[in-house]
Amino acid sequence: MNIADIADKILSVSEKSGATQAEVYAIRVRTASTYIDDNIPKIGGSMIETGFGLKYIIGKKIGFSSSTLAQEKPQDLVERAISLARVNNEDEKFVSLPEPKKVSDSADRFHDSSTASADSTILMEKAMEVVQGASCDNVTVPNGSLRTSSATFHIRNSLGVDVGSKGTIAFGFFTAKSEDNGSVGEGVQRCWSREINSIDYHGLGQMLKEQALSMLKAKPFKEKWEDSVAVLAPSEGTEMVYNLIGFAVSGENVNKRSSPWSDKMGEKVASENITVIDNGLSERGLLSSIVDDEGVPTQKTTILENGILRSYIFDSYNANQLELQSTGNGIRRTARELAGRFSSPAVCAGTTMEVRPGTKSVDDIIGEIKQGIYVEHFAWPIVDAMSGNFSNEIRNARIIENGELGNPIKYALWVGNLYESIKGSVLVANNPEIHDKRVMPTIAFPNTEIVGQ
Amino acid sequence: MTTAIESLRDKDVSFADIRHESHASTQINVTNGIIRRFGRATKSGTVARALVGECWGMSSTSESLSSNVCKNLVSEAVRSAKANARFSRKSLDLSDVQPIEKTVWQKCQLDPAKVSTDEKLELVMSLDKAQKIDDRIVNTNSVYNDSKIVFQLVNTVGSKLEWDELRITSVVQSVAREGNRMQFDYGVKGGSAGYELLKSINPEEFGGNCAKGAIELLSAEKPPSGSMTVISDGDISGLIAHEVCGHASEADEVVKKRSFLTDMVGVQVGTDQVTLVDDGTLEGVSGRIPFDSEGTPSSRTIIIKNGVYEGYLHTLETASLMGVLPTGNGRSQDYNRRVFARMTNTFFDSGDWKNEEIISETKEGLYVLKTLSGMEDVVGGGVQCSALKGYIIKNGELTQLVRSMTLAGKVLDILKTVDAVGDTLHFSGGGACGKGEEDFISVSHGGPHMRAEMVVGGG
Repeated sequence: MNIADIADKILSVSEKSGATQAEVYAIRVRTASTYIDDNIPKIGGSMIETGFGLKYIIGKKIGFSSSTLAQEKPQDLVERAISLARVNNEDEKFVSLPEPKKVSDSADRFHDSSTASADSTILMEKAMEVVQGASCDNVTVPNGSLRTSSATFHIRNSLGVDVGSKGTIAFGFFTAKSEDNGSVGEGVQRCWSREINSIDYHGLGQMLKEQALSMLKAKPFKEKWEDSVAVLAPSEGTEMVYNLIGFAVSGENVNKRSSPWSDKMGEKVASENITVIDNGLSERGLLSSIVDDEGVPTQKTTILENGILRSYIFDSYNANQLELQSTGNGIRRTARELAGRFSSPAVCAGTTMEVRPGTKSVDDIIGEIKQGIYVEHFAWPIVDAMSGNFSNEIRNARIIENGELGNPIKYALWVGNLYESIKGSVLVANNPEIHDKRVMPTIAFPNTEIVGQ
Repeated sequence: MTTAIESLRDKDVSFADIRHESHASTQINVTNGIIRRFGRATKSGTVARALVGECWGMSSTSESLSSNVCKNLVSEAVRSAKANARFSRKSLDLSDVQPIEKTVWQKCQLDPAKVSTDEKLELVMSLDKAQKIDDRIVNTNSVYNDSKIVFQLVNTVGSKLEWDELRITSVVQSVAREGNRMQFDYGVKGGSAGYELLKSINPEEFGGNCAKGAIELLSAEKPPSGSMTVISDGDISGLIAHEVCGHASEADEVVKKRSFLTDMVGVQVGTDQVTLVDDGTLEGVSGRIPFDSEGTPSSRTIIIKNGVYEGYLHTLETASLMGVLPTGNGRSQDYNRRVFARMTNTFFDSGDWKNEEIISETKEGLYVLKTLSGMEDVVGGGVQCSALKGYIIKNGELTQLVRSMTLAGKVLDILKTVDAVGDTLHFSGGGACGKGEEDFISVSHGGPHMRAEMVVGGG
């Protein structure tokens, strides 16, 4: 039985047992993986998982249950959800599940058959291209992973939603270690695509090698630079920008008043150089699909237009509270991991966040900076999305002085407030890259500090 | 499972195992007094692994458990292992692995499955209500979570194991706002235990203190930046133990010489006040496991003793490569993910200072509390540990409250400056540890108050 038929059965049992409304989410994920360990493919893996999530509603009382149905039947899933809904309190803010809407695209628009059919042997060969590109006398690839997933999901609800979509993801993460006379350096590279064959694996390996070798020359940064510009490579900047803006424009955070932008619609909250779009139909987006995980058609939503806040993003629950339409942002899936996503109900989250590229190259932008830093890799780029404060350890970076890239440095912290920084003279480059659920270019953030150790 | 593993007849396969997992969990999330999520999730799956040369194959499925399913998984795992094995440079010898037949069920006073949902709902609602102490609290969040995983494992050396892991957690988070300033605080209580752990919560105190903390942070100053004397609370000490020393002591990073702690056994890496332990047998804390994902019993591993580096955390493979016994640290997120060397409960052991004494005997410094996040640096030995708040110490007294900051520095430098270690251990209420940005497992970290020299970056 395919997952749509099982979803249909679960919905039918739910309706017969007295649900006012019910929603079934069904997903089947096939994943192949290879893990590099000390320059060789150490583990080859394959995984298949099927799961179902049921939202069972009695009036305004909601119960959620989920299962792989390996050890139980659809009836068990329904009974468990009923038992939760019955004892739950009423959610006065719940209005309704989504109504069906016309979906014009094909369910497999974002599905790549080469990626879906790749097995661990194919991945092994591609991962070894990275190793070959990176390896030399004093550089090894101690860790790496390359994974492809194909997901087919389907949503059925009691209002008539009966729709699904398919998608594919390829993701890789590799580290390189360089050594020279007791000195060590590390390179880190990730790759993301919907299509396994679109990635330049050998080139990725070469970038990894260059990064690791560059770090052998890195000197500890011992100064304190105030009011500096940090130019962040897309892998780092996208993480921080999404965590900040994704949080601030989430309809859930707006409704519960934890967003600092909850009362700033139409106001200028960022530099005019920043235009941000949530694009559920992004051609490069890893979560691109014709519907979101509630069955609502996905769309392109302009969030920031030249720095002015134009829209929040909504799932159906949060949109209904404000008598608005869902923007197709009821999301369960993540770009990195598709397994297990049936276990949680949809939440309000971004699909693919796109930052409109600028016209200048990275070199042009660096050429305009008097004093700053170009960061390729942080320990982990994080920001407190409520306050905007951040303090991140720099792992791979080069200083910028008088418009020129200088020596590689290590042991420094990048400190500041991102809400304040993006109001300043932000510079956006013309090199958009895909990382996780973001397509963004290199961005230069002003008014920050670099603190040496 | 047993039939499938016993019927494996392939001379190239030197070891294989099959593990079945059944997961069940309850989640209640309350936001601003409204139940946003009330769910019960189950999932189950089976994974087979096979070893050829030094390469592994693994295959998993969420299909119902049957002999045929298991045979297919083993067959696919062998196929993948053989494909990788053409790059194999040596053969792993796991012949020393001893068969174990055992069933271990976790004991608890109050099985969460037998506690009424009404009582759980009442607890979470009371936690949420207790946070509403002031108009400046604009958002309250309260969470209840319990989980039970039942494992079955068989392998080609003849082990037959069954065990379970039970965990329970409650979290509160309050958001305070005044003008354009927003701050939050949080509280966590959790561990490897039954509902009795949460019964001990006083909701007014637990929720109220969290809200009070968020309001206080509204007037917190930006912390100083630069090198200074830092006193970390047990939570922050534990994060340093986990992120920097712990990850770099995972032996898979050592056998390939990626870790900065490679070849460090017997070397003085800290002052004699520094003792670091990983202990999967500790009752009550979240990283407690009877067996790891390879069926090795958990154990207590002394990593650093009185400043001298002692040993690493091992899987079957790394123990074989280094000629030592496995320590029960071969863990996987679930049946979909690989097994590799991971921590359990990792902590700096206690010393003999009173906490108040450490503060009163510090002329100038920063007292840092509550973890936000951390990241390992296995190659370089650097620290990135972010904290929610702190207090500036002047002449032995806590003065100005300061907000979020990051602690940095080289851990081998930091450990050599530890000059005061508190006499009271504190363990985190639970958490998920990732490695290489993913593969999340339940662990805890802990430690006493500790004083050392570190770099602080205030955001």
